[in-house]
Amino acid sequence: MSLTLTVDGPRWREHLRRTAAAHPGLVPVVKGNGYGFGLGRLARRTQWLAEQDLGHEPGAGTCDTLAVGTYDEIGEVAQRFGGSIVVLTPWRPFGTALEATDDDHLAERLVHTVGRLEDLRDLLERRPRARFVLERMTSMQRHGFTARGLWSVGEVLRAHPGARLEGVAMHFPLAHGSHTSEASRLLTDVVGAELPEGDGARTVWVSHLSDAELAGLAARWPEYRFRSRMGTGLWLGERSALSVTSTVLDVHPLERGDVFGYRGRTAPKSGHLLVVTGGTAHGIGLEAPTGDLGLRGRAATLARGGLDAVGFVRSPFSIDAKQRLFAEPPHMQASMLFLPTGARVPAVGDLLDVRVRYTATTFDRVVVT
Amino acid sequence: MSPAATRAEPSAPLRVQEIPPADHLAFLDGRSSASFLQTPAWGRVKAEWRRESLGFFAGDELVGAALVLYRQLPRLKRYLAYVPEGPVIDWGDDDLARWLEPLAAHCRARGAFGVRMGPPVVTARWSAQQVKDGIADDAVRRLGDLAPLERDVVGARVVSQLESLGWRHQGVEGGFAAGQPQFVFQVPLVDDDAAPLDEDAVLKAMNQQWRRNIKKAAKAGVEVQSTSGVAEALEALPDFHELYVHTAERDHFTPRPLSYFRTMVEALAGEGEQLGQPDRLRLHLARHEGDLVAATIAIRVGTHAWYSYGASSTEKRDVRGSNAAQWAMMRDALAAGAHVYDLRGITDTLEADDSHVGLIQFKVGTGGQAVEYAGEWDLPLNKVLYRAFSLYMARR
Repeated sequence: MSLTLTVDGPRWREHLRRTAAAHPGLVPVVKGNGYGFGLGRLARRTQWLAEQDLGHEPGAGTCDTLAVGTYDEIGEVAQRFGGSIVVLTPWRPFGTALEATDDDHLAERLVHTVGRLEDLRDLLERRPRARFVLERMTSMQRHGFTARGLWSVGEVLRAHPGARLEGVAMHFPLAHGSHTSEASRLLTDVVGAELPEGDGARTVWVSHLSDAELAGLAARWPEYRFRSRMGTGLWLGERSALSVTSTVLDVHPLERGDVFGYRGRTAPKSGHLLVVTGGTAHGIGLEAPTGDLGLRGRAATLARGGLDAVGFVRSPFSIDAKQRLFAEPPHMQASMLFLPTGARVPAVGDLLDVRVRYTATTFDRVVVT
Repeated sequence: MSPAATRAEPSAPLRVQEIPPADHLAFLDGRSSASFLQTPAWGRVKAEWRRESLGFFAGDELVGAALVLYRQLPRLKRYLAYVPEGPVIDWGDDDLARWLEPLAAHCRARGAFGVRMGPPVVTARWSAQQVKDGIADDAVRRLGDLAPLERDVVGARVVSQLESLGWRHQGVEGGFAAGQPQFVFQVPLVDDDAAPLDEDAVLKAMNQQWRRNIKKAAKAGVEVQSTSGVAEALEALPDFHELYVHTAERDHFTPRPLSYFRTMVEALAGEGEQLGQPDRLRLHLARHEGDLVAATIAIRVGTHAWYSYGASSTEKRDVRGSNAAQWAMMRDALAAGAHVYDLRGITDTLEADDSHVGLIQFKVGTGGQAVEYAGEWDLPLNKVLYRAFSLYMARR
């Protein structure tokens, strides 16, 4: 009676191992809804990866650190994973960031992301031995230091000899051509920062770089160590190991003109009404922006949003590999589908395949075989 | 130079205007060093281009200088303003805009469609041993594949700033650029604390073959005669040039005419004499039993000494005249208190089968460092003409 994510365990774990083995120093990203798996499960899985023999040189540090998105997420992972936790949202002198900073038990494991000079000073006043990465602003223009800002950091750090710099972080926009030249340009700013000598001054944390881009950068900056932060590619990289199913809860025959549903709609033709698990509470029927900026993409989004205005709209539920129509907008935990006469009618208890965005879906159950 | 030291200074806008060559020269002479391509004399060597001595002024004080060569676009009264290995300014300033914007504005007013310059700042260095290992390692293709001994903070900040100020790096891979080389080979003549090295220390840094060859030349009785001042240099020039033309034939490059060298000697050595420095430009002629076996031209401006041109005979290679001439130039530079002996350009390729690698190997034997400079940068002032010029250069 649930929306279920079924994971082909052996296949998934093999993919995780292979990905980690191919990326020495990998930092798994465990944030948001935990990519559909849940934060806790991914934290345990990261611990498992850290214990694997991946054939890396000692000191590669693969999976010795995981990344969470926010300070609020730390609680979900801290007990399940024993290594360091880097928070991707930049540290600010307010809110949960301060609670986490003041927590003595966490202090040794927590790696803050700092993107403003005043924050760095503030953080080091509160915790002179804080661990942190310096975020360099990229073309994304989200968070982080400018070149000049980074140049000033060197001085602040020399005034705080106890501060523990773990590296410089760069968060690139999703593929828009190659990032190699931008990354190289930003690395020149890192050289200009004259950071205190040590591993931290030579470690760069990057997101969204392809393997080829990473290899190109490593060749151009051989004395730097690049740590790849990876979420989607790691956890969801082997799609064929994942399947999502909904359960048929009820099946009702419907004649043309019959009234049904919350909103008293009328059936346009005869067929069957299916009530299946999976509704707005799971994220079904709610559109996350797809990033498709083309006319067609925008039109499709509009159509899905305007579901109750005209006719039926395609649902993510499929029967016999054909996506079926919503009979009305999804409810909180269930959806009503319309099945026209002539289609095979599933029985109560049957499972339907569902196409979802994992990062925007909450599953009732996750079954790893 | 500490970048922190310059940051405290207030950023006042600078004024750029033409200055008399004498003021230009006096300014350069008051500094530790500058590229010889930035001396007024060099402008006279490049007589086919219009030249201008520029001064950068903070209030009334001359704080920087540039030799600008204006290269005319074919058939148009528009120019590329070229500042080779310059300008001579405080590159450690974190506000380079206050130097470069008035420079660009001045060049635009002079009819320039673009400015090209070569900031004389180092970005990275590699040891001779690293370069040697790199050539031996098949996995290493370019100098940049090796972690450098150091990356220079000032150099990095210059590169960062030029990017953000709209300048474009004129990069080349695997060969020489049309302009000045971005990678050179240099032998340091002072230690890390800037204390002068002695001859033994410089010899000791060389590889065994170089040391052996220098010894061999001395044992064979090779004598190196070094000129002083304009007259002696002019007198030695025909001998140098004859051997240089011979070298060009053997090594398949196009020699420059004798008149080019005469102009160079008169301008550079002449400028030296004017300053009471008879060794600004020197010819070194290595002879064995009366036969000229090698000849070179050396230039020194302040603490920087360059090996500029070289020629060698095909006969009597076993007496190692080239090594003798190189050693004479190095000793000369040491005696003059130079900080660096510069063997000039190398390519960044380290592939053992590349045609340029022999040149690197020769220079690496001196035990110095491969040095990466910031390279040459262009600022387009007129986008249409600049693009036309780039196309023209690419097709040349």
